Amino acid sequence: MDLLLTLLLRNLGRNPRRSALTVAAVAMPVVILVLSFTIVAQLNRFLDDSAAQLRLAVAHKTSIINPLPYGHKARIAALDPQKRDIIAVVGIAWIGGVLANDREPLTTMGVDADEFPIAFTDHLLTQQEREAWQRDRRALIVGRSTAAKMGWKVGDRVTIRASIPPYSEFSFNVISTAPKAIDPVANWCHLSYVFEERARSGLPESSVDLVSFLFVKCSGRAALERYRVEIDRLFENTPDETQTQDEKAFLNQFISQQFDLPTNLTLLALITIAVAVLAAANTMNMSFRDRIGEAATLRALGFSARFGAWLSLTESVLLCGIGGCVGVLAPVIAFGYTPIGDVQIPLIVRLEIGPGVCVVALTLALAIGTIAGAWPAIQGGRLRVIDALRSLE
Amino acid sequence: MGAAGIVLRDVHKAYFKDRLEIPVLAGLNLEIAPGEFAALMGPSGSGKSTLLHLVGGLDTPTRGSVRVGESQLESMSESALTAWRSRHVGFIFQMYHLVPVLTAAQNVELPLLLFRMASSERKRRVQTALSIVGLGDRTDHRPNQLSGGQEQRVAIARAIVTDPDVLLADEPTGDLDARTSEEILNLLNALNTEFGKTIVMVTHDPRAAGHAGRTLHLDKGVLDREEVNARKTAAASAS
Repeated sequence: MDLLLTLLLRNLGRNPRRSALTVAAVAMPVVILVLSFTIVAQLNRFLDDSAAQLRLAVAHKTSIINPLPYGHKARIAALDPQKRDIIAVVGIAWIGGVLANDREPLTTMGVDADEFPIAFTDHLLTQQEREAWQRDRRALIVGRSTAAKMGWKVGDRVTIRASIPPYSEFSFNVISTAPKAIDPVANWCHLSYVFEERARSGLPESSVDLVSFLFVKCSGRAALERYRVEIDRLFENTPDETQTQDEKAFLNQFISQQFDLPTNLTLLALITIAVAVLAAANTMNMSFRDRIGEAATLRALGFSARFGAWLSLTESVLLCGIGGCVGVLAPVIAFGYTPIGDVQIPLIVRLEIGPGVCVVALTLALAIGTIAGAWPAIQGGRLRVIDALRSLE
Repeated sequence: MGAAGIVLRDVHKAYFKDRLEIPVLAGLNLEIAPGEFAALMGPSGSGKSTLLHLVGGLDTPTRGSVRVGESQLESMSESALTAWRSRHVGFIFQMYHLVPVLTAAQNVELPLLLFRMASSERKRRVQTALSIVGLGDRTDHRPNQLSGGQEQRVAIARAIVTDPDVLLADEPTGDLDARTSEEILNLLNALNTEFGKTIVMVTHDPRAAGHAGRTLHLDKGVLDREEVNARKTAAASAS
């Protein structure tokens, strides 16, 4: 057996350049697969965490970019004046934002200052931060990965220009870097400050009190389901009908409309895997052709057709397995032990590559090897020894 | 294992190319005695290599019977022939066909993987086979570190390591210079006289054929004539 293993391993090294290129051709899609699966899994975890917050997202029925009248907030709250089921309603106005000397887009949103700490409990503001938030109309809660990236800390004063008309400039005081928030990127400010700046800019009154969406914090799953229907019914046949979804569905839709990362990444991974199969199959076919004389000799010595097929297939699986290991180790090392790990991906704090994804990727690499080695293996099994020997004479 | 006789009766073999039947052997009758060294000669296309392939179980006749030792080859299945080859036949090719990534010893060890055998026993047999061919000190050399003659010796060691009944050599000196050819032919001779192996050798070289006890001349798929090498026969009788 040790001789067979020696033969297999030395066969891999016969044409080092060809083997290295094949390993690279398999490793690259594995890298893409590992990253895309990890990103998709972490996005899903983010969505699941958001779903656990028992919040409904109310947006305009026509489109997510159509604003809603701020007056909707009071009408939704009136559905449960005792606040048994609806604990808080928060108006949210998206202003995006960029720094004066930086093109990097920010995600900044104005929120109802009183209700925000009640509805977004995952932010776990300290007593001191809560007081600062309530006291200062220019208060800004910064997402922790944004804070890390920008180098912002509590007490800093930052000026952000809105990304949407009338492109007002906001001067904020950082009062928290929200270390526990589910969303590590978004920044939160007072909605009243946003309305104030809009009014000051000369926008018509009808364009001032508008929000991008409303978030409704519910007391439980039953309330969530009930008001998901009731809120939409409340605004039926009005100029501003609503579409109410749980937070997971809403964010999912939002992600899909913005960049649809999961689908695009999966598609990319599939295409590169197909390319890897072709590259590996080409290598294995060339290897088989190069060694047809040896295959015939082994058969003449008494090795079976099945052995020839096994040798070819095992070599292919081994080669692609090495590619798979390289493809898995590269992102694990890059994102775990080098500065590349600090690269920010929307909604994801830090890319953590789990063992499950590694196992899936390695299995896939072995499957590539099996598919790529199948045809040479069949050819090896069908080889007519005398024809092969004659072709060498 | 002892030597085996070879008996061919009314052997026909035809190949098909583009639906066209090309007859190669046309009713060949032949007997080679156990322990005999026979050379096959004849022009290209006379059927020498085809005969060698039939005797080695690499191919089956279109018609007729091929018996090697106690085995009737024409009735055996592909897998049975494969297993039979590993135990009863040793092949020596013109171009040696060694595995370039394995050492001389590993190349010789390859056929032994088909036998249930302890690793130590395999190593012992490999060492013995390489010593017989005079390469006991080159066990760790790879084919590209050996001369053509040495490569052919390794191929011969690989052919004899399983102690087969019959050695089949297809132009074993065709790629070698005169001096090295002589060494290889002397080695085959020794395997025939000292170890009693039945040897069938295809060759175009009359000097090579002179090392055999009998030369069989094929032409157009039948045995045209045969010559007995009196000197060899006398030497064999004397020994």
